[in-house]
Amino acid sequence: MKSNNFIERSIIWSLILLKDSIFAEELALKKGFLQSLDPRVKIISFLLFILQILFTGSLAVLFSFYMFCLLLVLVSRINLVFFLKRTWFFIPLFSLFIVLPAIFSAGEALLSWQIWGVKLIISRQGLAAAEIFVLRVITCVSWVILLSLTTKHFVLLKALRIFKLPQIFIMTLGMCYRYLYLFVGIIQNTYLAIKSRLGMGVQYQKGQQIVAWNIVALWAHSVGLNEEVYKAMLARGYQGEILAWNDFAMKIRDYLWLSAVVVIIWII
Amino acid sequence: MAIGSSSNHMDNLVFELKDVYFSYLGKFPALCGIDIRINQGQKISIIGANGSGKSTFLQILDGLIFADKGSVSFCGQRLNEKIFNDVKYSLEFRSKVGYIFQNSDVQLFCPTVREDIVFGPLQLGMAKDRIQDRLEQLTSRLKIKELLDRAPYQLSIGEKRKVAIASTLIIDPLVLILDEPTAGLDPLTTRNIIDLLIEENNCGKTIITATHDLHIVEEVSDVVYVFGQQRSIVKSGLAEDILNDLELLQANNLVHIHSHRHKDKVHIHPHLHSGHYIDEH
Repeated sequence: MKSNNFIERSIIWSLILLKDSIFAEELALKKGFLQSLDPRVKIISFLLFILQILFTGSLAVLFSFYMFCLLLVLVSRINLVFFLKRTWFFIPLFSLFIVLPAIFSAGEALLSWQIWGVKLIISRQGLAAAEIFVLRVITCVSWVILLSLTTKHFVLLKALRIFKLPQIFIMTLGMCYRYLYLFVGIIQNTYLAIKSRLGMGVQYQKGQQIVAWNIVALWAHSVGLNEEVYKAMLARGYQGEILAWNDFAMKIRDYLWLSAVVVIIWII
Repeated sequence: MAIGSSSNHMDNLVFELKDVYFSYLGKFPALCGIDIRINQGQKISIIGANGSGKSTFLQILDGLIFADKGSVSFCGQRLNEKIFNDVKYSLEFRSKVGYIFQNSDVQLFCPTVREDIVFGPLQLGMAKDRIQDRLEQLTSRLKIKELLDRAPYQLSIGEKRKVAIASTLIIDPLVLILDEPTAGLDPLTTRNIIDLLIEENNCGKTIITATHDLHIVEEVSDVVYVFGQQRSIVKSGLAEDILNDLELLQANNLVHIHSHRHKDKVHIHPHLHSGHYIDEH
């Protein structure tokens, strides 16, 4: 693959996204602890944990929450290495770079050295603040990713009804999510069709032109699809207000988990 | 207004179309002077080449689009936009007429198969227990139980078609309208779908199928209507009579003359667009 072939790169990334999403759905279907909980209970409990993580200033509490999260990863039958790779990617690393200047702030010197005549001091207070910041970010990110990995995406959307989100909003999001895959498939096939006719040697400017045509074609396709889907909804009795299947049911396990969460939050 | 309450509801007439015209954007004609009467329990096929107006005709029957000229009646009640504004009538009509789209991706718009199948009955106000029972029955019958929690994009074309059929059959309609139900399917799935349609018809359902797959026509039709390039009915009759009228089929792009060689002998014979119904060597 040529490194300057931005079309192919974009297509490959969309494929990776698709595969990742399908793989994530497989994790959500595993028979693990978190997968067995009612998604509404999961959302509420994770939200309580995240709020606690945001408001605590204690390194020990943050560390405990992070370890607890990793424990849940294990009991939910998710590969720990896969989880760590996913959670440490980008956001926590990015936050590490952001916080880097803070460790050189004023305070009790922990370590000092000179570079080209400039004295650099790592302060105890700066380091502690940086540790808390990074640990808070990684813990929050870990809990959010754990929620998304152990819950099917559309179930997560459905469970948002507990926040009184309108059904039409949830249905529209669900439909967007469903048709995204259809469009990814169309984009991939279109790209293969272009490749079969033009080969790999697409120049940058020509490539931009092709992408522009594709956007227009996809737009036209989505407008047509929009009309057809609306007809399909009408044909099945849609009258302007969506009635959805709500098959959530609280079990003893959910009540026990929720009680445990409340106790943990109360103790902390 | 209740369906079937009209005094015009003679014998068991379900649909009656009189001199129906329809055009897209007012300038691209799609149907020109269609006259059809469909009785309860009948099997009707609409055959015709691409662009002959089959899908438009089906959408008019399902009250998704409305005729520019002429009249369309369902159980004696004339269908127009106004009558569908009456929510009660609309729900009653939708619970009696089921439509299976040609493109299953259009019909399966929910995030999972389960939600797609139950979408219709939920909108129509069917009781949850009944929905659950119908869901169990249909998914066992169509052998799609294991697909219930899958997303539609993860399914094969055949599976999508079965789910689309389940999503319509779950409301237990009186009339089943199918647009190219076997297009792009493998022979076994095609067979399963045909068997299912025959079973449903034996239970009293009216089956209206648009297709250009001639090898399924005889099984799914009591009466066949041939739509021509003029977007009108060229001929109608019993399936056997229509399928044996090669001149008619050829003139309407439903068969073509095919020439091929077997060792040293060249054969020339009519060839169907799908399947090999009239292949005679």
